[in-house]
Amino acid sequence: MRRIAIVPRALGVLALIGLLTAPVWAAGHPYVLHMLVLSCIVSIAAVGLNLMLGYGGLVSLGHMGFAGLGAYVAAVLMVDARWGFWSALGTAAIASAIAGALIGLICFRFRGHFFMIVTLAFGLLLHAVMNNWDDVTRGAAGLPGVPRPAAWRWGDTVISFGQLPNFYYLALAITLAVFALQYVVVRSDLGRVLGSIRQDERLARARGVNVIVFKTVVFALGSALAGVSGVLQVSFLRVAAPASFNMLESINTVLVVIVGGAGFLVGPAVGALLYVTLPEALRLANEWRLVIFGGLLVIMMLFAPQGIAGLAYTLWQRITGDRSAR
Amino acid sequence: MGEALLEQVINGLMMGSLYVLVALGMVLIYGVMHVVNFAHGVLFTLGGYVGVFCYQHLAPSYPLALLLSIASLAVLGLAIERLVFHPLDGNLRNQVIASLGLILFLENLIIAVWGATALQWKVASTEHLVSIGSLQFSAHHLGIIVITLALVAVLGVFLKYSRFGTAIRATSQSREAAIVVGIPVRRVQRSSFAIGCMLAGLGGGLVGPLFLVFPQMGDVPLVKGLAGILLGGMGSVPGAVVGGMLLGVTESVSTLFLPTDYRDSIAFMVMVLILLFRPQGLFGQRIRGED
Repeated sequence: MRRIAIVPRALGVLALIGLLTAPVWAAGHPYVLHMLVLSCIVSIAAVGLNLMLGYGGLVSLGHMGFAGLGAYVAAVLMVDARWGFWSALGTAAIASAIAGALIGLICFRFRGHFFMIVTLAFGLLLHAVMNNWDDVTRGAAGLPGVPRPAAWRWGDTVISFGQLPNFYYLALAITLAVFALQYVVVRSDLGRVLGSIRQDERLARARGVNVIVFKTVVFALGSALAGVSGVLQVSFLRVAAPASFNMLESINTVLVVIVGGAGFLVGPAVGALLYVTLPEALRLANEWRLVIFGGLLVIMMLFAPQGIAGLAYTLWQRITGDRSAR
Repeated sequence: MGEALLEQVINGLMMGSLYVLVALGMVLIYGVMHVVNFAHGVLFTLGGYVGVFCYQHLAPSYPLALLLSIASLAVLGLAIERLVFHPLDGNLRNQVIASLGLILFLENLIIAVWGATALQWKVASTEHLVSIGSLQFSAHHLGIIVITLALVAVLGVFLKYSRFGTAIRATSQSREAAIVVGIPVRRVQRSSFAIGCMLAGLGGGLVGPLFLVFPQMGDVPLVKGLAGILLGGMGSVPGAVVGGMLLGVTESVSTLFLPTDYRDSIAFMVMVLILLFRPQGLFGQRIRGED
């Protein structure tokens, strides 16, 4: 039994080694790195939603609106005000967090259906602003010319993020930091309180939990992570476009979280990798990919609402008879 | 000014009719199943596509195309209810996420089958002009309003006076009590779901010839329908009608004062303001336990 317990960790280490050495084994296939960067970007937003939906039980249907808010704050700062990447990233994350907290405070007046409809409305509202505020966001055509982060220099060594492998390592580092943050949050008191709210909000309140405060904190945190994902996306693609942050994209983020496994630490990574790479591996056109994922989402809700990570966990329990933490 | 106002009011009634068709369907389903079907917009789209397909490939008769799109949406509705919403009954979160999956599935299936570009659907009634005073509208334009209002009246009478309509209302009020007094609740749920989907199909079939048939054509009616429902009061049938119409007219009339870019934002503002200050809506029904 002790011996078998090492399997998940070994798998994790192997996956990490695989990711770290990707520029080596995928040398000559920039496409693979491109896919991995996109997976990183998707998974960062998904971690934000996982904290809200998976751990806090808050079904937000406007998540990518906050990603767009962060993305546009950073893009405008970098393009028009010539700010550097890191200061723009920080400012965007803070802006998304503040917007998330304020909008969250309005949304938390409602539960169930009403909460979902209000988050949907705010997502649409944020998208409408990006799409229509031509003076600042350049409207539907998008805001081109978003720069990559400035190169790092030590003596003669120059690391330029215009090169794909370097940008990949940057994205991977940020992604790993975000997953570490998710681990810390979930294992902290905040994570336990969120679990209690998800399971029984009324009981949590009766036990003296200030539900609104904790919901607001997780909404702000989730929105900030969405913002970080948005900034990374526009810096990678070098253009900010409203279509990347519309209602369908918000639904896709829910899809990634649910298919990966809501409420599991590795869920967003599994979901994002599958979402980005599977259709490429099967060489599917974009519309068929979403037909398949849409169908998969319905089927998973019916038969395996705990997602892939949840299925793996159940299987693991069967094998080992272990009932310890996720 | 008076003429411009009248023109915008009639435009607004037309758009409002489409919102009402979507909103009514969602309210009926919400009442008996206690779930908001977020996939209702894509069912609206599908109504348009089935209509244009039948018109161009089966028989060039508009009423027949409408009937066929309504009928196929009824069948689809029964299937969705049986396969997706009923098995997930009682789990709101999973039902809503499954309905999001349906949106992705159906909308992209439409793109895969018919392509992402908009289809034109030429019908004679859009070219036939009718004069009201010095204003001219297409017969189709006015037809949408008339058909919707007639349908609302029929549905109202059906719900109020028929035995089955009473059963639907009873189930909306309390499912448990309905079971206790022997109402076939499952049949009520199935039929209401089918009727809701038929209304969405009709909406898509009606608007298709007027604008274009394209994969995202249901997105706006979905959002505006939701706004109309919230405005009228969640779960209230008269509320959905008044809310949808009011929203359509307000939007249209607002274009006289505001740039048209802001027209779509009015629905969001209405939703947020209503939820903040009068969450029970204009027709103030009780708020259910989960509100």
